[in-house]
Amino acid sequence: MKFIQDTQILFVRNFKKTLREPLWLFIGIMQPALYILLYMPLLKNIGNTSALPLGKIAQIFVPGMLIIMGVSSLFAGFGFIPEIREGYITRLLVTPVNRFAILLAMVMDQLFTLLMQSVILIFIALLLGLRTSVIAVILSLILVIIVGATTSCISYIISISARHEDGLASTVNTLYLPIMLLSGIMLPISLAPQWLKNIAGFNPFYYAVEAARELFLGNFTSFTIVKGFLIMSVFAAVALWFAVRSLRKMAVM
Amino acid sequence: MVSSHSTILYTKNLRKTFFTKDKKDVQAVKGVDLDVKKGQIFGFLGPNGAGKTTTLQMLTTLLTPTSGEAMVVNFDLKTQPQKIREHIGYVSQSGGADRTTNAIQDLILQAMLYGLNLDTAQKRAKDLIDRFELTEFADRIISSYSGGQRRRLDLALGVIHEPDIIFLDEPTTGLDPQSRARFWEEIRTIKDDGTTIFLTTHYLDEADSLCDYLAIVDHGKIVAKGTPTALKHKIGGESIIVAMKDDKELEKGKNLMEKQKFVEKIFVRENKLYLFVKEGEKLLADVLRLLDNEKIGLLTIELSKPSLDDVFLQETGRSLREGGEL
Repeated sequence: MKFIQDTQILFVRNFKKTLREPLWLFIGIMQPALYILLYMPLLKNIGNTSALPLGKIAQIFVPGMLIIMGVSSLFAGFGFIPEIREGYITRLLVTPVNRFAILLAMVMDQLFTLLMQSVILIFIALLLGLRTSVIAVILSLILVIIVGATTSCISYIISISARHEDGLASTVNTLYLPIMLLSGIMLPISLAPQWLKNIAGFNPFYYAVEAARELFLGNFTSFTIVKGFLIMSVFAAVALWFAVRSLRKMAVM
Repeated sequence: MVSSHSTILYTKNLRKTFFTKDKKDVQAVKGVDLDVKKGQIFGFLGPNGAGKTTTLQMLTTLLTPTSGEAMVVNFDLKTQPQKIREHIGYVSQSGGADRTTNAIQDLILQAMLYGLNLDTAQKRAKDLIDRFELTEFADRIISSYSGGQRRRLDLALGVIHEPDIIFLDEPTTGLDPQSRARFWEEIRTIKDDGTTIFLTTHYLDEADSLCDYLAIVDHGKIVAKGTPTALKHKIGGESIIVAMKDDKELEKGKNLMEKQKFVEKIFVRENKLYLFVKEGEKLLADVLRLLDNEKIGLLTIELSKPSLDDVFLQETGRSLREGGEL
């Protein structure tokens, strides 16, 4: 009970803070929205291949954008580092508040923003001709949430060890591009040579993209969906565990 | 573990060693023994880098000690950190107020984090805003507060759950003299409520006039312990300096004072009589009365006290003032 109460108190505080700066909601959505607007039309003229069958371009491209927006939660630490520096996190750690509640309240706040962004993005895609089912959208949103939980935790872990925005920025930028390229979000990995496919197989986010695509294409019986959810859930659980561990052990300022 | 009934904090051989990446051990705290009594203002005096903050962070459950024992509010630091957290308050050097909100909201949040319900939290927040005179700016965003205003809010955040002991890390660093004096007053009122105060400082005057009991720390070790007065008495050399009208009076005064038991040593320089005594404050009036009875004329009388810096100097061979860190 105390755990739920602690999480709720801190989530409300974090969410109020987020609402005070609604600009972030739109900054996060800019990049994927621009890709859908200015890049997706190019794919239609590439030609009719088995990887990109004509008429299914949006169902293949939009899920990739959704997942990569989830991956963008790698930048979540930029709001967290000032709170470490200003002693606010230390103040929380001295109270009897549950450590996991502190983490969960931060992750939940990040995920709420992500959920809003995802819904807006899907709405834009629908206006541009995306056709899919409600169940596919709902399941994809859940998958995006699991991805976002993972990447925000990774971001908090990096923040605790880096202690400075510069350190976080360089680490995250180094991670972000290979994750994006190895997820096959611009073009499906099925177009890639074998060696590239092998490397992509080590990227958990690749499985999330593949699963989201099957959902949007309506192939609900595909094992790819189960695999995507399973791999991402395990990855999220590990990230949460390590994040609460670094929060517990963080050398304070 | 030995501790008397009025002990609120007790440590035995508390140590903290940090292991750096190049495998060099840094011994930040090298065996600290403390016995803090309930209701005291306990001062941890030492230069920057002496291990004060590290000790404080161990006692507030933020850092795990490398070895040693500690009891805080009757709970074992090793096995019951969660219990300790419920009973202590802590104000770090940087404070910890949430810069993005106002004092009212932040105080309510803090109270609720300690498990108080919303009604009680609101009531406590209001009481503390009145008490620490935050009313004028309580609904303004905290990032706009002055240093002194923010420190008062930090203190209010630290006591909102009525802790048994509050830890203050360098509470007045960076404050102007007026804000410092005011902050000292606030600390004394917290003491009057029965809360024990454990503070670190590198200011000699703060240690001297605010603290009831001191531990002087240097390079991770305690070099001296005692009340400020006792520490200075140990040094001895407190003196009453009497300036006389002329040589004749000076001679008469010297003869008179030599007969007094409380004068440990007497010393004449120019027209002044130096009387080395203990507890000179209490003796000033006696000296004046004795001189007056004999109709010996004097120009001025002053008391010269040994300072805590003399204590630090004697123990470490260095001066806190000249540390370059101050």
